[in-house]
This record gives sequence, structure tokens and C-alpha cells, in this order.
Amino acid sequence: MTTCKTIQPRLTAYLDGELADDHGSVVRGHLRECAACRQVARDEAGLRDSLRALPPLDPPASLWAGVQAQLAAAEVADARAPRWRRAFARWLPSVPRLVTGGLVAAAAVAVLYWRTHQPDEAAGKPAIADRVEELPAKVLEPRAEVSVSPADDVTADLLAEPARTTAAYGDAIEELMKLASEARGAWSDDRASAFDTRVAALRGAIERAAGHAQQRAQRAMIRYLQSEVVRDDVMLASRGTP
Amino acid sequence: MEMLYHQYRRRVFGMAHRIVGPSDAEEVAQEVFVRVFRGLASFRGDSALSTWIYRLTVNAALSYLSRRGRRHEVGDEGLVDLPAPPTTERDSALAARIESALTKLPAGYRAILVLHDVEGLSHEECAAILECRIGTCKSQLHKARARMRELLGPGIGPDVEPPTSNH
Repeated sequence: MTTCKTIQPRLTAYLDGELADDHGSVVRGHLRECAACRQVARDEAGLRDSLRALPPLDPPASLWAGVQAQLAAAEVADARAPRWRRAFARWLPSVPRLVTGGLVAAAAVAVLYWRTHQPDEAAGKPAIADRVEELPAKVLEPRAEVSVSPADDVTADLLAEPARTTAAYGDAIEELMKLASEARGAWSDDRASAFDTRVAALRGAIERAAGHAQQRAQRAMIRYLQSEVVRDDVMLASRGTP
Repeated sequence: MEMLYHQYRRRVFGMAHRIVGPSDAEEVAQEVFVRVFRGLASFRGDSALSTWIYRLTVNAALSYLSRRGRRHEVGDEGLVDLPAPPTTERDSALAARIESALTKLPAGYRAILVLHDVEGLSHEECAAILECRIGTCKSQLHKARARMRELLGPGIGPDVEPPTSNH
């Protein structure tokens, strides 16, 4: 026996076409006979259709400018942050895996320690270390290498970290170069020429260096480009341009 | 970067607008895009990019509301008192009443209605974004619509007779 109380919770699924045929038929049967539930169903369908028909909302033009300004500010903050903090931020995503790996290793060491230092229960029995020699030779054969699942092995990840950092700095430089070349149209000839000279010198330094020295040179380039791009924003803001 | 912005700006801003309200939507949308661009390199592809961006949006909007301490729990007052609009203006007036009623819902109900009904996402997508089970999504949607009906009062739907066909 179906009642309004049992039907109404199913109306949402029924109206969205999510009920199986037999259940849908039960709901339809009840709606034919019950004016109150028909009203509820009509209202819910009307509400759903009205929600779907709500117009998309256009963001104000200032949103993109705000996003760019915040990104620039965050990158300047990154460049000014001490090296240890940047390194910590890069390693932070690996922390859960490192912690898990550490716990597993600690547990393994604890088990090994416990097994090798277990007191002999039976009197007169030699210690485990002494008994090893009595074991058949096949037991002492080296065991197959324990496989470590790629998810737990962070070594490769850590080794690839410097290359990733260099690549990320490279991407940031290209992105900032694009912004700078867009802004360049409004620059004086003198400023553009000084910019080119400085960029060429910094690029040369990056190409000549390797490893940490190369990343230092990349950071110098990023700081310079950010200062040039931000300088325009500051000038525009001081003129009251939106 | 700009292409990605243009692809998602309407949805991100629209969701933020309807969850936190018009006055703070821009701030939330800005926060979302900054997180998207700064986190893009570490995006692992565990879910679709769109799902990740919408999850950031909903999380940013809900935590913004939480910080602002403005989670609304209202009764039946307010919208049911609005006069019934004339037929010719019915659609736009109903849309305005619905937008207004949305702001009166608890934030969680608002999020599921915006994702499922306004943005047209499936229950699977909503569950991935809200990080809950599909069943929870369905029951939240049912409760959210019921609350909206209470807020709007009867007579939202068209005047039709009993159902005559299979859906």
C-alpha cells in the first residue's frame, strides 16, 4: 500500500527519470489518485526546470585582472621566500608517502629486533643466532628481492625533483616573458632596449650555469621579469586606471 | 592559462555567485583561479580537470561562508510573502524569486542544487566534487528541493493534469 509519506521521498528521483520502470509505475499510479502529491510533483518539476533555466552569470572584467595581480604577487612572494621554505613547499606533497614509508620501515625494524632478541622459551635451546647454522642450507638461500610498489618508492621522485624545479622555473620565465612582451608596446625605446640587454645577459647566465647555479640564475630572471611586469601595473594603478 | 580561464570563468563565477552571493562572488572566483593556476602543475589527474576545478570552487565558497560566519538557516519567512507576479512577467520574476530563495538555503543544500540543477552535473560528478556518496547526493538534493518549495510556496509548477505518459 503506497501512501503520500512513502511516495514523496521518491518524487525527486521519479521526476529526474532515475526510478526503475516498476517503481516509476507505482509513483505514477499514486499521482493519478492523489491531488496533494500531484501538486508537490508539479511544484518540484517547476522548480527544477526554473533552476535549469537560470541564466549563466558573466563575471566582471576585473576578475581576470585580479587573478593576474594575485598570481604576480604570489610569485614575487615565492621569489622572496627563503630557500628552505620553497624546498619545504615542494616536498610537502611527498610527506604522506614519506611518513607511510617511514612507519613501514620502523615496523619492519621493530619486528626484526623482536624476533632476533626473543628469549629462548625452552631451556637449553641455543639462541636463534646460534641455531641459524643448524638450519638446512636451502633455508639459508638468498630470498628473492622484495618488490617495492612504485607508490611507496619515492626515490625516483626525489631524484627527478631538481629537473622538475628547473622546468617549472623555465615555464614561469616563458609566461612572464609573454606578459612582458604584451606590455612592451607601451614602453619607451630606451626602456625596451635596456630590457633586451638585461634579458640577454640573464639568459646567457642561465645557459652557462648548471644545477643549483642555473636555478639561481633562473630565479634572478624571474625576479627581474616580475619587477618589470609589476612596474607597469603599479604605474597604471597610480594613474587610476581600472 | 588565459584559455583555461575563459573556458571556466562563467561556471566558476556562477557557482561562487550562487553559493556565497553576489557581493563576494568575485573574491571567491579570484581565489579559485589563483589556486587552479598555482596548483595546475601538481594536478595528478585523479579526476577530470573540470571536476577538480568545481571541487576547488565549492570548497572555496563553503569555507568562505564558514569564515564569514554567514550560514543561513531560515524559516518560512521572506519569499512566500512576495506577491504573485502577473503571467507575462512570470518567468523573470520566478527566476528572481528562485535566486533569492537560494540565498536562504543552508550552504550544503545550495551547493548540491547549484551543481545538479543549475549546472546540470550528474549525481556521479556531484558526488566526486562534494566528496560524498552518490546516495548522499540524491538525498541531499531531495531535501534541498523540498526546502526550496517551502521557501517559494505552492504554485511554482505549471498547471497540468495527472501524468499520462512514461518519462
